[in-house]
Amino acid sequence: MNKLLALTALVTLSSFATAQKNTTLVWSGAITGPTSDAGSSYAAGVEDYCRYANAQKMLSVTLTCVVRDDQYNNANTQRNFEEFVGNQNVPVFLGYATGGMLQIKGVVQETKVPTLPASYHIGIIDPPNNGYMFLPVSSYSENIVALLEWVANKERGAKVALIVNPSPFGRDPVVDARKAAERLGLKITDVQEVGGNNLDNTALLKRLEAQGAKYIINQNTAGPVANILKDAKRLGLLGKMQFMGAHYTGGEDLTKLAGDAAKDFVWATSYYMYDEGDQPGIQLVKKIGAQFERKADTIRSVHYTSGMLAASIAIEAMKRGGKTITAASVYKGLTSMNGSRAFNPGFTVGPVTFSAKDHVGAENLRLLQADATGNFKAITGAQRSKMFQLVHPLK
Amino acid sequence: MPASRFTQTGNYRVRYQQDQTIFATSAEQASLIVGVLLLLALPLLLPKTLLRDVNMIMIFAVAVLGLNVTTGYTGLINIGQAAFMGVGAYATALAATRLNLPFFLAIPLGGVAGALVGTFVGLPSLRLKYLYLAVATLAFQIIFEWLVGHLPVLAQGGAISMPTVQVFGIRDSFLNHNRFWYYLILPVLVGLGLLWRNVLRTRHGRSFIAVRDNDRAAAAMGIHPGRAKLTAFMIGSFYAGIAGGLFAYFQKAVVIEDYGLHTSVQLLAMAIVGGLGSLPGSFLGPLFIVALDRFMGNASEWLGAQNIFPQGVDAATALRPLAFGLSIVLFLMFEPRGLANWWRLVRLYFKKWPYKF
Repeated sequence: MNKLLALTALVTLSSFATAQKNTTLVWSGAITGPTSDAGSSYAAGVEDYCRYANAQKMLSVTLTCVVRDDQYNNANTQRNFEEFVGNQNVPVFLGYATGGMLQIKGVVQETKVPTLPASYHIGIIDPPNNGYMFLPVSSYSENIVALLEWVANKERGAKVALIVNPSPFGRDPVVDARKAAERLGLKITDVQEVGGNNLDNTALLKRLEAQGAKYIINQNTAGPVANILKDAKRLGLLGKMQFMGAHYTGGEDLTKLAGDAAKDFVWATSYYMYDEGDQPGIQLVKKIGAQFERKADTIRSVHYTSGMLAASIAIEAMKRGGKTITAASVYKGLTSMNGSRAFNPGFTVGPVTFSAKDHVGAENLRLLQADATGNFKAITGAQRSKMFQLVHPLK
Repeated sequence: MPASRFTQTGNYRVRYQQDQTIFATSAEQASLIVGVLLLLALPLLLPKTLLRDVNMIMIFAVAVLGLNVTTGYTGLINIGQAAFMGVGAYATALAATRLNLPFFLAIPLGGVAGALVGTFVGLPSLRLKYLYLAVATLAFQIIFEWLVGHLPVLAQGGAISMPTVQVFGIRDSFLNHNRFWYYLILPVLVGLGLLWRNVLRTRHGRSFIAVRDNDRAAAAMGIHPGRAKLTAFMIGSFYAGIAGGLFAYFQKAVVIEDYGLHTSVQLLAMAIVGGLGSLPGSFLGPLFIVALDRFMGNASEWLGAQNIFPQGVDAATALRPLAFGLSIVLFLMFEPRGLANWWRLVRLYFKKWPYKF
């Protein structure tokens, strides 16, 4: 009997020791399907940073990097979560789409596995079931409120129109935007929904022009925004209207699609740009991209940087959590990222800070404007929206 | 009378009563019992993640059964089945969260909501046929998505979390989720399958088939084609509503993206691949499509790891949608009667095997 017990203990210990040699970093997102233009670069960022971390021996264990295509399908996201969290005990889950992330909120809360989405929808970290969801950067809502603040500084009482994606991703910031506009003395003349099949926006733009809307804020993806900009140029509205947008509207993707119609577009994002080569994070992006022989378009995409940020946060949290990497230790590592222990991989315009109550990572953002060459140049310093705290107090 | 109660090598039916039996032989009854027993034991044999796929197959099978009622048996093309599922899902979610109804009342309520909306949406079928009716149901799909996206009570398409279910003291949790729901979905699927099998034996079931084959001839025989069409829409969308309610609980939240046009197309593909107008096809179609998707997912992951494709081509991940499209085209070209026909051929072979004449 004693021998049997000793053997059991030995097997348990040896399997425990084996488990400590490896851990898995998994990302589930859209490499194909809707929004895969952003998803494929994001996936490359996650994968490459993970490989880089292994090469640099950032952790005492070997990281297995898994990048799963969930095709923007919520059921596939859930299956991936169950497979990796339930069966393989992965200590942290990197997710993607708004719908999928909203759907797994309850399961994330139940399993207590920290989860970092690529969607910056504020509802993901709103109560209930918000204990283990962490946004890597500032939310779409804060992006839009910051843009409204910029408008209010330029022109008090200005008329603003919102063009949003017909989805929870697009619609959610509208409530906060309305509240902020009221406080800022701005008038929201219209909220229009535009999806990815907007081939002709003449009627939309003429309607907004007739309403006297001078500032058009987009909460969408780059494709539909590019079509709007091209139509605005054709109609001679680019000088009369100032087009703006939240994180997923801008960057290289927009200038590539819209060409010179993207000129003067004002964009809110927390990330540094590819052409800011003096930033250590961008130097790292270029180095890793070249090391793993990524195409120039992929490396230049802000989504490649976003994927790297998500992976770097997860790996840093693993490192900080202690010798044994578990969901609890990753949570501990994540929530230690504040004050003097804030994490700054250099990808964003401010450090990544988390605590038990603070679930927004890089809270700072900048407004950038596209120049004639298609590059986005910062027109503000790193900042936080003052109004956002008032219209959407985070619990 | 058949030569044997256990086997049947020919058609020995001489009375209408015999023609209306669900099971032609004792072997069929026995095989159903054995099949159900095997299904009951399945969760003990399958890994957890595979069980999730089985649950998805069963939920889709309920929806495809409904689609077969309208499209397969009555010939009314329906491209909005996912929207009917969505009606059921949202109705179930509202019943569970606003009215605090338990799941065993909320899910049937979802079915009733689906049936009511389905009957209303079926009204154009009184005047429209074929492609025109397809467009009408497609319109409903689009209207449904738009409507949900604009209604604050439905979270504008965002997530409505479902309450946790408890049955006989066993609570649905992350660890037992798939097994828990397997034992709840299975009886619903078997029950609804048997119900439809019984409806088919009634004058309603026969009138559906008559309307599908030739509605003018059906009218000449005294069948009211309009009533038959609306009844078919009502039953078909009831099944979809039930599937939506089950899906809502199984996914733990209702999100509009799950009930979009792509899901409707997927359900239609399942019905085609399984075999339109066939009961076994309603199970085989979802099984094939979900298994194909799973297999292609694994294959693409393996291919991706081989680094044989140039960067940016994403040939590996394109395998899944490619296989999906290709399977529909190939089935339409080479086996329009679907997998149900293969099932029929296998059964036919064993009827004669081993050469008992």
